[in-house]
This record gives sequence, structure tokens and C-alpha cells, in this order.
Amino acid sequence: MRKVSWALAGAVAMLLAGCSGAESDVTPTQGAGEVNLYSARHYDSDLALYERFTRETGIKINRIEGNADELVARMRAEGANSPADLFITADAGALWRAQQADLFQPVESDTLLGAVPANLREPDGNWYGFSRRARVVAYDPAKVQLNEIDDYAELATPRFRGKICVRSSDSVYNLSLVGALIEAWGAERANDWVEGVVANMARPPEGGDRDQIRAVAAGVCEVAITNSYYYIRMASGEDAADQAVTDKVKLAFPSLGGQGAHVNISGGGVAKNAPNKANAIRLLEFFASADTQRHIAANNNEFPASPSVAPPPPVDAFADFTAHPMSVAAFARRQPEAQSMMSEAGWR
Amino acid sequence: MALTGARALPRPFLSPIGWLALVAGLAVGAPLLGVALAAFGTETADIASRDIARYALTSAWLALLVGGATALSGTAAAWLVVMHRFPGREIFAWALALPLAMPAFALAYGYSDLFDVAGPLRMWLRGSVGVDLPFEMRTVGGAAFILSAAFYPYVYLAMRATFLNQSTNVLEAGRMLGCTGTSALWRVALPMARPALAAGVALAMMETLADYGAVRFLSVQTLTTGVVRAWSVYGSTVSAARFALPLLLAAAVLLWLERASRVGRSHESGRARWRPVEPTQLPLTRAWLASVFCFTLLFAGLILPLAWLTWNLAGTDADWARLGQALSNSLSLGAVGALVTVALATMLALGTRELPIAARVASLGYATPGAVMAIGLLAPASVIWGLAPGSGATIALVLLVLAYAARLMAAALEPIDAGLERVTPSMIQAARTLGRGETRAALEVQLPMARGAMLTAALIVFIDVLKELPATLILRPFDFDTLAVIASNYALDERLGQAGLPSIMIVVLSLPAVIWLSRRIAAARPGA
Repeated sequence: MRKVSWALAGAVAMLLAGCSGAESDVTPTQGAGEVNLYSARHYDSDLALYERFTRETGIKINRIEGNADELVARMRAEGANSPADLFITADAGALWRAQQADLFQPVESDTLLGAVPANLREPDGNWYGFSRRARVVAYDPAKVQLNEIDDYAELATPRFRGKICVRSSDSVYNLSLVGALIEAWGAERANDWVEGVVANMARPPEGGDRDQIRAVAAGVCEVAITNSYYYIRMASGEDAADQAVTDKVKLAFPSLGGQGAHVNISGGGVAKNAPNKANAIRLLEFFASADTQRHIAANNNEFPASPSVAPPPPVDAFADFTAHPMSVAAFARRQPEAQSMMSEAGWR
Repeated sequence: MALTGARALPRPFLSPIGWLALVAGLAVGAPLLGVALAAFGTETADIASRDIARYALTSAWLALLVGGATALSGTAAAWLVVMHRFPGREIFAWALALPLAMPAFALAYGYSDLFDVAGPLRMWLRGSVGVDLPFEMRTVGGAAFILSAAFYPYVYLAMRATFLNQSTNVLEAGRMLGCTGTSALWRVALPMARPALAAGVALAMMETLADYGAVRFLSVQTLTTGVVRAWSVYGSTVSAARFALPLLLAAAVLLWLERASRVGRSHESGRARWRPVEPTQLPLTRAWLASVFCFTLLFAGLILPLAWLTWNLAGTDADWARLGQALSNSLSLGAVGALVTVALATMLALGTRELPIAARVASLGYATPGAVMAIGLLAPASVIWGLAPGSGATIALVLLVLAYAARLMAAALEPIDAGLERVTPSMIQAARTLGRGETRAALEVQLPMARGAMLTAALIVFIDVLKELPATLILRPFDFDTLAVIASNYALDERLGQAGLPSIMIVVLSLPAVIWLSRRIAAARPGA
């Protein structure tokens, strides 16, 4: 009895202490030396980047990682008192939603303007892309000719009836792809495409992009829609089984109306009420720097955003493709429309 | 209005205990209130009603399948272990609870990978043996299997405790009336164990409704998918909250059913005449079948997925410093979360007589999906953040611990409530006659009797906190990872090999607590 009640008293005391101690315990934000990063990228290789930034600038990075939308919700709830300085994520749609929620402030920086091509940033400077990922096609070269998949439109033709593997419409990358098709073709034609792909599916959507690539190797389907870096990671990694898969499966970069492959970004923007705005801009510039772009390409197998940054191995072997010049901001805002279209067509 | 003796005192609105229950209820109910309020907004998402119906149907179907499967397997295992002797019985008795240590999302990683159509197992089967497996894990059936394997221990533990508590006298009386063997189970033991069965199955079904990590990984789209789509793609908290209302309703119905099953089910025979159940020896073949059955449960819920995750570790490198920090964070959160939740649950349970509604409402969080809980939590959190600029680490941690309490209250209230039920009104009256006020009677009579139940509750909450994801993801302070967070991040990035290590660490960390819990429940007999 005594022990338990003491334990309970202790617990309550801890809670109360937590509440009362709060004022003195405000995260040191104002002034020099810190930046608060809300990141929806959670790659181990990013940790090395943060260490390098701190080493080079003396600015300490406090970070919270989570799903993009959870972080956006948290920033909204924190309101004007949000400690967030910089928000980064790996999908243009998520950046657009954060902008819609009025969480960014426009930033003018010659460094950023110089490093990021115009179509990979928000026109008013609310957010900037610093690396690219293409949503393309993995195919079985024994069954499919390269010229049968040189345009996204071909995926919806009867040629591929029952031959396509793709993940569900929960994937933001699929939403962005369909958003880009809507932007390029208009809603009607994009809708025909979505219905055609649903009719062509070899199985109901399941698993992630790597599972689709493996399914091609296993003969479940002939083509799979995937982000480029998953394939490159499997091909260049140390896992023997993954390498065996990529020996059998090749990567193709279809074109959208002859203008190039659909490209999405990793990017970020400075928070509206950033307490450390200058440091946030510095960190964003750091992400957009040539060194960082190379680091992300080498470690996470995305493509550099700047045409002037030469892609390092292993992505250099895949980097020789034409990217569609569409502004990422244009397809980002089409995601809700894409979701409704895909659900309606039965793309679960 | 109570009249005592000659003086008529105006009775206060609530006794001190009632006030404590009210405060605890408000703290835990705040997020649920946040959800309910959010549902009244106007910015709805454009989600087709056909999709909503499909999600709801999948949720209902999944909950029913898991409810049925856990009821059958949990009850059968408990009956075998308590009433019979067969090879390995002593080990199975506690080991059958071990899958509680396995997070459902880790089971989903393990199984979907192991049985993937392009995975090594099925490639080999097709290539070398020429057959393929007739099932898919990424289906409603597969999800039901995985969640049942994860959640059957809830039923098993409840039923085992009840079977152990039944007196031989009752079974003997049944035998005299012609009920032996199986019919003793169906006609005597099961009807008497109905409340325990309802409690165990209700927990399993609520966990199923609240699950997101596993079903997302298995591409099974339930109401929680709807919540997340409404929230993420369409940016509508209103629609997300509305998706949550049927889930809250389902939790209310399950809890009501569980309460209803208790009514008029008080069969306690005199404690003096209580005699422990004497297990009977099963004949050879049946004894081995019993062993195989119990082993299969343990194999499916723990051994196979754990072995596959371990096997997949080969060749992945680990950031031990980060994992070590996450391990210590998980442990401290688990301990503090358990203490606070049990404290709040105790206040609620003590106040049940005065404020029954507080405990009922507080339990609803258990079937609330994490994403919904997050929406609800952010409402009160935004008030606190608004008052305290900078949102320091302490505030984030306090919010997080309250989130755990809100989410896991049902699991803590259940055993504590049951423990307090052993306190008869006459005991409290005796204490009052001896001059103790209501509060002191509670402290000196009720709490000591419920001490064991409080420990049980604390262990359950500790285990659940280690596995908890959504609230931790959204509310944690800067630079603060838990093992579950790291596992989830790797899995989202499709790096399953690396997701395995933190998952295995969660299991290893929970195992002692599960074993302790399992043994405690076995020891808690009336005679002991």
C-alpha cells in the first residue's frame, strides 16, 4: 500500500513539476546558434548533413521528424508561437499544402535563385526544391520493348492489360504523377488514363515501390511504376537478392507528350513565424548547395536539382534523361483532384 | 440530499474523490472532446460516400474477424492450459502471452515480407517445388490473421485468470448434473467466464479498429485510411474527425456490451470453500495435439515473424548510439506513462460510483486511431502552446504522457475496476463505521485491495507505450526518437532490414514485463 501510493504521488508530482517548470524551460530559440528543423525526410544520410552544417556554421540543428501532414498539423496548432524555422519534405504536394495553410513566408535569396531552376521552386519564393526524383517505369526487357513505354500514355493502352504493378493511391508520388497528367492533358484525358491503368493492373495495388519492382522480376507483371531512387538503390546496394532483381528488370524514363519524365522534388520553405529566420535561410541555402545536392544524390540516390551539379555515382548512370519542364507548383495543387479521380476509378 | 442523524448538511456537489475523478476524466477526455468539436466544422473533404462505406465495411469486417479468431484461440488455449496436462503446459501457460510484446506493425512487416509474392520463400516454392501459396498477406484475411496473432493474448490472459479463479466445487456440481469434459466448458465454465471473454474480445477489437501501422503496411483500407486521406490529401480535419465518430461509437458499444455482460454475473461462492482446479491428464494423441495448438499460436504471434526480422538483419548496419538513446527514451516514456495512466485510472475507478460517466468517456480513446487522437490532442495542445511560447521539451513530454493516458485508459481501467470490485460495500461501510471519511476509506481499504490490479495495469500500459506510434510521432520534443519511431521511419522508407532492429529491441524490452504480467495473473487466485 505505502509503496504504491508513494509511487503514484511521485508520478503526479512529476506531472505537476512538468507543468510548473515549463516557463523556465522554453527551448532557447532567439538569438544566435540555433535552427529548428521540421523534417518529413528521415534518411540516415541526412544526419551526416546536419552534422556538417553545424560544423561549418556553428549553428545547432534541433529537429523533429514525422509525416509531412502531421508536421503541418503540428505547426498549425502551434500557431504564432511555433518554434519551427524550416520545414522540409519529399513531395511538392506536401509543400503546397503547407503553403495553403499559410505556414511559409516568401524568401528572397540570390543563392537559392541561382541554385534552384525556376520550375523546381514556388514562384513567390515560399519553397524551394533541392533534389529531384523521377516517377518512372521498371520493366522486364524480355517481355517489353523500350519503345512500348516511351510515353506515360502507353501504360493505359490495351497492350498492358493485366501487366501493370503499381502501389495504392495513398502514395503521394502517385497523386503527384496523376496531378501532372491533369495539368498536361486536362482532367478528361487524365481520367481516361487513370481508368486505363486501373484496367491494366495485374493485381490490386499493394506494397511499396520496391515490392512492385520485385513483382516484375517474379513475373507477376511486366511493368511497374516506381520512383527512380528505389530502383537505383536496389541496383547499387549490397543486397545480393536486390541486385539479382535489377539484373532482370530495367528502368525506363517515359515521356509526357514528348517533353520528358515526371519529376517531383525534395524541398523546403521557411516557416512564417520562424524565430531564427536568418539561420533557416542559411540552412535552406545549405540544402540547395552543390555539395549537399551531391551528398543526397550519392546517398539517397535522388537527382541533383541544379543542372550545373554533376550527378555522382551511382545515379550518374541513370541521370541522362529529359525531365519535363512543368513547374512542380503546378501539379502539386492538383493532388486532391487526383485523389478523387483515382478513388472514383477504383485505384484503391 | 443525504440526511445524517439530526443535522441536515447540504451535500457537496462532489466528494474529494469525485473531484479527482472529474479532473482525471477531463484530462483524459480532452482529446476526445477535441475530436468531437472538430467534427462540427464546415471544411469537408471531397471523399465519395461509396469510399466511406467501403472503409467502414472493411473496418467492421476486420474487427469481427479478429474478434472471432481471438475469442476462439484465446479461450481454447486458456482452457487447455488451465484444465489439462500435456507436454509443455507449464511453459505455454506464461509463454502464450508473449506475443503481447510484438508490435502489430512489426508483425505486418515480417509477414508481408516473408510471404510476398516476389519474396525468397515464394520464389523458391514456385521455382523448386512448383507450387505457390494459396494466400496473400496484403488482404483483409491476411490482416485479420496478423492482428489476431498479435491480439489473442488479451483474450487468453483474461480467460486464463477466470478459469483459474473458478472453484472446483462449481465444476463438481456441474459434473453431478452430467456436465463433463467439453460440456463442462460450454455449460459451466464459459457462461461464468462471459465477462472476461467480453473484456478480452473488446480490447482486441478496439485495438483492431485503432490500428493504422499494420493495415497501412498491408494496403488494407479501413476507416483509419479515410481519416488519414481526409487529413493529409484534402487537408480537412473536419472530415477526418467525422470518420472517427463511428469508431468512437463502436468503442462505446463494445464497452457497453462488456459492462452488460457483467450484470447479474456475480457468482462468487464463499472464499472459504474455494478449491483450485485440478487439471486432468490428456490422452497421448490429444495431449500432443494440445501442445501443437499452443505452439502454433506462439509460433505465429512471435517466433516466426521475429525470426524473419532477425534473419533480415544480416548485412544492415546499425547506428547504435541513436538506437541506445531511443531505447532509453522508450523506457522512460513507458515508465512515466504507466505511472501517470495508472494514477489517473485509479482516480477514475475510485470515483466510478459518483461519476460513472467519467470512466466511460475516458475509455473511448482505446478504439480511436492514432491520427484521430492526434487531431484531438492538437486542440488542447494548441491552447498550451499558445500560453507558453517556444513549446519547451517538458511541455511536449507532459502532453505526450497525457496522450498515452487518453489513448490507453481502457487497458488500465479494466483491471483496476475489476480489482476494486473485490471491495464489497460492507468493507467500506465497516471502515466508515470505524470513523474513516470517504477519502481515508478509499486510501486505507480500496487502494490496498487493488494494489495487484494496479501493477497489472501499469505493466499493460508500459508494454503498449513501447509500441505506440502516432501520438509519439506528432507530439514529441526536438531530437527525441523512440524505438517505434525509428522502426516506422525505416519502414516508410522501405528499408525493412533496418526497421527490424528497433522492432526486435521493442520485443526484447517488453518481454520481461509480459512474463511478469503473465505470472502475476496466474498467481492472483482467490486462495492465494
